[in-house]
Amino acid sequence: MVMSASPTDGHFPGTGRYLQQSKIQAALGHAQDLGASYAEVRLMAITDSTVALRDGKLERAIPGQEIGVTMRILADGAWGVHSTTDVASLPGQVESTVRLAKAVAARRASKDRPVALAEVPIIESEDHWKPKKDVRNTDLETKLHHLNTLYDSASEDDRIVSVTCGWHDEHLHTELITSEGMNRTWSFQRSLINATVTGRDGGDVVSYRTRHGGEGGLEVIESCDLGALGRSAQTATLRLLKADRAPSGKIPLVADRDLTGVYIHEALGHPCEADLVAAGDSCLDGKLGQTIGNDIVTVVDDPTIRGGYGAHPIDDEGLDTREKCLIKNGVLTEYLNHRETAHHFGITPNAGARAQDGLHHPLVRMSNTLIQGGTHNDLDELIEDIHYGVYACGSRGGQVDTGRGSFQFAAQEAWLIENGELTRPLKDVSVSGLTLQILKDVDGLTKDARLAAPGFCGKGQTVPVGDGGPIMRISQALVG
Amino acid sequence: MLPDDAVDRINAGCQTIATMCKNQGIEQWEIVAYQSYGHQLDIEAGKISLAAGGGEGGYGIRVVEGGRFGYAYLVDVESAESALKQALDIARASPSVAGFVLPSAQDAPKVDGLFDQRILDLGPEDLLEQADAILSEVASLDARAVVTGGGLGVGATASAMLSSEGIESSGITTSHGIGVQVSIDDNDELTSSYEGDSSRQLLPDVPSSVASAVHWAQVTRGPIKVDTAPQDAPVLMTSEGFSPLFSMVVPTALRGDRLVRDESFWSGKQHTKVLADDLSLIDDGRMVGGKSASSRDGEGVPTRRQVLVDSGRLVGSFWSTRDAAQQVAEGRIEAAHTTGSAVRGGHQAPPGTGCKDFTMTSKNGGHSQDALLERMNDGYIVHSVMGAHTANPTSGDFSVTTSTILRVENGEILGPVKQAGLSGNLAGALLDDVHLGDDVRIQGSYSSGSMHLPDVLMMQGLRINPA
Repeated sequence: MVMSASPTDGHFPGTGRYLQQSKIQAALGHAQDLGASYAEVRLMAITDSTVALRDGKLERAIPGQEIGVTMRILADGAWGVHSTTDVASLPGQVESTVRLAKAVAARRASKDRPVALAEVPIIESEDHWKPKKDVRNTDLETKLHHLNTLYDSASEDDRIVSVTCGWHDEHLHTELITSEGMNRTWSFQRSLINATVTGRDGGDVVSYRTRHGGEGGLEVIESCDLGALGRSAQTATLRLLKADRAPSGKIPLVADRDLTGVYIHEALGHPCEADLVAAGDSCLDGKLGQTIGNDIVTVVDDPTIRGGYGAHPIDDEGLDTREKCLIKNGVLTEYLNHRETAHHFGITPNAGARAQDGLHHPLVRMSNTLIQGGTHNDLDELIEDIHYGVYACGSRGGQVDTGRGSFQFAAQEAWLIENGELTRPLKDVSVSGLTLQILKDVDGLTKDARLAAPGFCGKGQTVPVGDGGPIMRISQALVG
Repeated sequence: MLPDDAVDRINAGCQTIATMCKNQGIEQWEIVAYQSYGHQLDIEAGKISLAAGGGEGGYGIRVVEGGRFGYAYLVDVESAESALKQALDIARASPSVAGFVLPSAQDAPKVDGLFDQRILDLGPEDLLEQADAILSEVASLDARAVVTGGGLGVGATASAMLSSEGIESSGITTSHGIGVQVSIDDNDELTSSYEGDSSRQLLPDVPSSVASAVHWAQVTRGPIKVDTAPQDAPVLMTSEGFSPLFSMVVPTALRGDRLVRDESFWSGKQHTKVLADDLSLIDDGRMVGGKSASSRDGEGVPTRRQVLVDSGRLVGSFWSTRDAAQQVAEGRIEAAHTTGSAVRGGHQAPPGTGCKDFTMTSKNGGHSQDALLERMNDGYIVHSVMGAHTANPTSGDFSVTTSTILRVENGEILGPVKQAGLSGNLAGALLDDVHLGDDVRIQGSYSSGSMHLPDVLMMQGLRINPA
């Protein structure tokens, strides 16, 4: 029965763990007896809470707990995977999963290399990123208080017709046991609050979205001036009601740190994912060590930045996370990788494996990605010599075609730049370009780089990410 | 793939939770359960990279007391007691919506075509053979073409609903899907196209999307030079290119709660012209074989076929029971009733509101692509867009990018454009001079449901911004 999580739907007494280690180790041993070169079991238990407030009234509050477990078996150089919510059933799936892997391997053409994994340190540990205020102890009343603070500040104008506020918190507990002897347990929390503000003036209707969140417990929400966040969203919404459509064409673009983060996530981060490179679906294939950007561009992906929405202590293959420097002064220095792609390219594993939850296998993913700061002091300095351009702020998301190296991202609002001054507000600004061109066109960065609003990244699986950087100037971008 | 007693098991789980609800004297309750199993293959770099299988499921409990509702979900029935307490605690902390009660039981005739025994009988080996056939087909169509991503999968879901109001429903649905990213990397030029097919019924070994992916990777090679000045131009969007934008913007605008709350660009426009006079929008929750069809909606209400826009006039909207009660209670509308439009994404959330199998039709019928190009004369064909999810469903405004775009002059395809921006307001572009193709294809959706759309020629309201 799939919907049976474990004998007690909880930890085995006295262990703080969900997996019964002796049984799992026996199952992994059985897989090896059947010819597997590697096998692992990874369990994720997620305790979460979602609350939605619409126009100041509680719309829904949903507490939940999900447990999922994935067994990954490498046999004859190919993967077989089994995922289930029924932890206890897993040992019974070893034989069929080994067969699955061998069936895939049997179809491998002679020209194709078998899958192999890069060597990594074998670690047994428990690592818990303790929040300052465990979000699981936060009652509904407290959540409603914060949501109402956001709502009250965002709704104070007759032209604001609707404000929807949302809360999401989660405690993530992961256990990984491998046939190599890796045996790790780790946990951390994430907390998020957001609002969508809708304004109407006659026939014109606009909306603006704002978010605050990060790795951690209730302290993440308490650290934010929610009144200011709401007022800022309200002001932006009212500004959009009076905004003009953006000009179209190739013009100088200045992006705030929200948009800079999305830009670097889409334009560079995805093409840097080694699974896409290995699949022949990245414009950065074969470009390690080459100059691909202006020498002021340095980009890192760093899951160890505590508080970032993409932060996590250990990757989903059991490696301690670390900073990856993707571009150093314009030179492509490192792909994001996992053990399979590290072996494929003969490079050092850098702990880039992430899975959406316990029911998904790990892929190469970003975490907290940001461009490092430059030399300009502030926005004024960046725009003072722009005759005609656009200053774009806030992100409505983006997308990339990693193979072609083309990308698109959209701003929540913008201003026209005329003769070095911000003049008129604009709406519906999107920017597109080619990765290998636009990285060279970055010609100005302010000094202060930091993570911006939290985001989510989809690649078949959805994972939380942090993106950011300084305010960035691109000499020429296709604005629509 | 699915255990023989899968439905019995989840029905038994629902009964166990129902007994707890009754024992606690809960006024109204509704329990849903889902249990899915499937097999899946991933394809990368022209080969099968991974084979996976497994299953997942869970229960959702909605309780209602005095117009207040609470919800909780769980994986294991043994934790139902605690989930039920959480749902009750939330209900008691929630505002009362006057008049909100769970729907009563009504007959819901079966919808055919949602289950295919042949899918249940498929094993991983069958999928491996289908993947082989797809890879061979791509290679035979173009020796340069490689499937760089995608995969295929089959699934079966047992579901059940049980409520205090007498709704008792269960069944099994099946699905079969494939998606391929085909790339041609030759002569220092890489082009690619992603295409997919999915159905409740068994797909052919090599669905038509495979040849389509190769075709679009081929025809976008060798970009021509075009005037890079932004221009307003007619655009023929293929079903694949149009659907993401359409699904992001239009179904959301038709939600009853958004219409009465001024959150839709069609708010206040009931019974007035919102689309070209020949166009109609229809949602059919009972479509035979519909990807999103079912006999009951997410609250157990019988589904129906409903016209939302009739000959250009807005005549309907989507309502669920709770949305209807809430908007009436708040005085935004005098009367509103469920339209059988409650939708669920699984057991982890209470029902929302949205479309099922959604179609756009024209009184003028559909036209061949040649006829559409002749009407267009000068303009562009757009087959896919990047950033459809950034379109604004509140205003209908969008600004996206495309790398699968062809230039048309004098009704003839001149060649591909390397990259271009495409922007406009979708509601505005659909207001006049819209012409539909004659081949309706089924697409996924950024909102709920599935889109059944032909190619769409929009003669006005769109701007092309070539790179």
